[in-house]
Amino acid sequence: ADKMLLKTPIAFGSHLPALGTPIVWVADQLKLVTDGKMKMKIYEPGKLVSPPEILDAVSSGKVNSGYATAGYWQGKMPAAAIFSAVPFGPEAGEYMAWMYYGNGLKLYQEMYDTSGFNVKVIPCAIISPETSGWFNKEINTPDDLKGLNMRFFGLGASVMEKMGVSTSQLPGGEIFGALEKGAIDASEFSQPAIDQRLGFHKIMKYNYFPGWHQQATIFELLVNKDAWGKMSAGQQATVENTCKASMTNAIAEGEAMQFPVMAKAKENGVEIRYWNDTMLAAFEEKWGEVVDEKSAADPFFKKVWDDLDTFRTGYNLWESNAFLPRSR
Amino acid sequence: MDANEIMVIAMFLSFIALLFTGIPVAWVLGGVGIIFAFIGQFADANLDTMTGLDYTTLGLVVNRLWKIMDNWILVALPMFIFMGIMLDKSGVAEKLMHSMQELFGRVRGGLAVTVTAIGIILAASTGIIGASVVLLAVMSLPSMTKQGYSMPLALGTIASAGTLGILIPPSIMLVIMADQLGLSVGDLFMGAVFPGLMLGGMYITYILIYSYVKPNAAPVPEDAKAVTWPVVANVLKAVLPTLLLIFVVLGSIFGGFATPTEASGVGAMGATLLAIYNRRFSIPVLREVMGGTLNTTAYIFAIFIGATCFALVLRELGGDELIESFLTGLPFGPYGIIFFILGVIFLLGFFLDWIEITLIILPLLAPVISALGLDINGYGVVDNPELVWFVMLVAMALQTSFLTPPVGFALFYLKGVCPPNVKLKDIYKGVLPFIGLQLIALFILVFWPQLVLWLPAIAYAK
Amino acid sequence: MTENDTLPSVPLADKIDRFIQRIGMSVAWCYVLLVLVIILQVVLRKGFSNGLIVLEELQWHLYAVGVMFGLSYAQTTNSHIRVDLFYSHFRARTKHIIEILGILILVLPFIFIIFAHSLDFFYDSYRIGESSQSPSGLPYRWVIKGVIPVSFALLGLAVLSRLYRDIVLLIRGE
Ligand code: NA
Ligand code: NA
Repeated sequence: ADKMLLKTPIAFGSHLPALGTPIVWVADQLKLVTDGKMKMKIYEPGKLVSPPEILDAVSSGKVNSGYATAGYWQGKMPAAAIFSAVPFGPEAGEYMAWMYYGNGLKLYQEMYDTSGFNVKVIPCAIISPETSGWFNKEINTPDDLKGLNMRFFGLGASVMEKMGVSTSQLPGGEIFGALEKGAIDASEFSQPAIDQRLGFHKIMKYNYFPGWHQQATIFELLVNKDAWGKMSAGQQATVENTCKASMTNAIAEGEAMQFPVMAKAKENGVEIRYWNDTMLAAFEEKWGEVVDEKSAADPFFKKVWDDLDTFRTGYNLWESNAFLPRSR
Repeated sequence: MDANEIMVIAMFLSFIALLFTGIPVAWVLGGVGIIFAFIGQFADANLDTMTGLDYTTLGLVVNRLWKIMDNWILVALPMFIFMGIMLDKSGVAEKLMHSMQELFGRVRGGLAVTVTAIGIILAASTGIIGASVVLLAVMSLPSMTKQGYSMPLALGTIASAGTLGILIPPSIMLVIMADQLGLSVGDLFMGAVFPGLMLGGMYITYILIYSYVKPNAAPVPEDAKAVTWPVVANVLKAVLPTLLLIFVVLGSIFGGFATPTEASGVGAMGATLLAIYNRRFSIPVLREVMGGTLNTTAYIFAIFIGATCFALVLRELGGDELIESFLTGLPFGPYGIIFFILGVIFLLGFFLDWIEITLIILPLLAPVISALGLDINGYGVVDNPELVWFVMLVAMALQTSFLTPPVGFALFYLKGVCPPNVKLKDIYKGVLPFIGLQLIALFILVFWPQLVLWLPAIAYAK
Repeated sequence: MTENDTLPSVPLADKIDRFIQRIGMSVAWCYVLLVLVIILQVVLRKGFSNGLIVLEELQWHLYAVGVMFGLSYAQTTNSHIRVDLFYSHFRARTKHIIEILGILILVLPFIFIIFAHSLDFFYDSYRIGESSQSPSGLPYRWVIKGVIPVSFALLGLAVLSRLYRDIVLLIRGE
């Protein structure tokens, strides 16, 4: 068919900068580039199906495509987390290098194939670091963390638990109320520009950086494989290249919008802090333990991890020499 | 009119018509959804439509059903129902109601006022209408019937007091709205406090006036005595354990010991302890409470499940676009537009539930409202004050949707727990004045935005 | 609780209904368990600063079991809510006919669609050994997903029992 409609449920509201806006951009561009022959109809989270169900819906052909992040599927495939965001992991440039010019993308598709999901995966946005979370007291030593109740998501949560934090995973809308009432003591959620919308700066004093748990996050467009097979080579290339362009667009947008928000938070009395070396070392050590456990439990996780690790070891020679140190 | 619009309207009309046959609401919602999915598939094949509906697509209903199952917030519903039935079966509820009536002495309407007051307290601990309505009904309907209340007044009071929870924080509706529009949940919660309390106050005022004018509607007991200090002391002694329970539930939330969801479990435990304290607890009572909770929770969720199927198909047929087209290009001034929008929401509320309306139209309306250039004072603290205020208007209008026939969920839940001789017609009649009160409250909010905005500004000023 | 307008006895349908109600009453203990789990979670978290994601997830697991198995229970007690504006004035015969048509045209297709699709939904989860998205959550997610086909099969049985009852009563002229 020379006309094509992608029905695309998305995992983040399209009003959320960087999390949701890139796929709107993709939909607009697809239509422009193809003179209206290809269209993408976006369904806000929950309208057709809620975010954690997108993979199942696309794979079974209930919809022909979906936009999410692989971290959502780590209950189904532990390795999925590595294709979404990696603690102490690569920044955007290095991540894309591994994805497109290392084995990343190949392993990414292999993961879905070997798990029996009938989907074609295309990385379709990448965003800059998240914050490490909001606290009401200074955290200088690992002891300061012990006994806190904190909202934390994904692989980072395993690290926090090893630090003696008891974690929960409240959805975005629930966090503010829980913090305000003291049901939890601290929380991470996303980047400054997103956290600001949830209003954390109104009740929390310290915002900690860097987001060691999420230096870069990749978002994916999933296309049902049967639907993908029915597309012409030109249509397939159009989707793939629009998504690749979206990676550029999303990182640019994400990088541009954080600092004004942080400046405003500072004005409102929020203290922006950078983890001291002790804390960062402690997080990294615990992360090492988590990786060992995950690798032992799941062979595919180990395979992907080893590949990424090898790539990063090689990249390090370049990285440690090529870039200027960062000023603070 | 194009084929999509015809199908959407036909779907609505079939739904309403089948509703009146008396087939259970849940099954009408689900069944009509399935039938129209196949009509959509037929239209795709034979007419110029692109609904994409077919047998495979309908599988999304299972994904949506699963999201109802793994929803941690809804855990509160069976817990509050458990609590209500336990209070009823153990006689605690009746004792509480009796004592409160004594406190009102010869003033008429005391029980109904008590119900509203408990409704406000419940509203502050949960936002789940089904839970509040059922809990209030099992606690108070037997007492009100015994005292000879007119059925419509009793039922209207329960249904309206039970729906306060969607406005008074914590409220799942406000959480979803904040999420949809990128507003601060805190601002919305604080903003809803005065409107919610005002509405509760209006209910109470109405009940007192109505009972005064129509003494037969809310009789006082023959042996009612004037209120004296010893009476007050006796009442306090009698209700002390129950008050303690309420304090524990609310206190656990405000003290940060428990989330609202967990507080519901604390309440269920508390009610059980009260029953034990009153020597009314036994295994047969527990089994009765369990069975009642199982049954009541199930018929409420059956409606959720049917509705999720209906909504999915309605959306794929193009229902969203039809409603959108109503709301675009309005030829009125700013306040004209606001009244028109609220009017449409109020009318949609007759047929759709709040979550559908919210998902369809809120994102659509936010830019419209922002563009009106209204000068709403946020005291320099509240971000997007005009949106916060507008969301509160929408919330107030949507609260009405629980009460408006034919599709009013609070009415359905109430019907479920009433004795069989109570007919839906009595409930419809009972809620009418309360719907009127809500509309008045809505008008007040339109013209006094500070009722919404003052509290969040004070609460979060640095 | 209300006593629902009980329909005349039909032996086979009565037997099926009693069977479903027995299952329902056993499942209903999950609500008692739920109360205990919530209390445990609150005490652990606030008393010992040690809340557990496992307990958090166990809460909605228990709730979901209660909800889903309750559906067939409520069907046998005739508790699903009806708009009785006209219904209450219908003759018994009309009510039987409405019930039979409603079950055949609306209820059974709805149950079938959910049942059939839930088998794949369950099987996919089982095939890949799905567990919670949270690293410290509960394993064996397919168990709770399996509740959908099982509970809907029971609901289907309860509805068929009702269908049979109405057909018999219609023929008997009661
Ligand atoms: Na509430
Ligand atoms: Na309504």
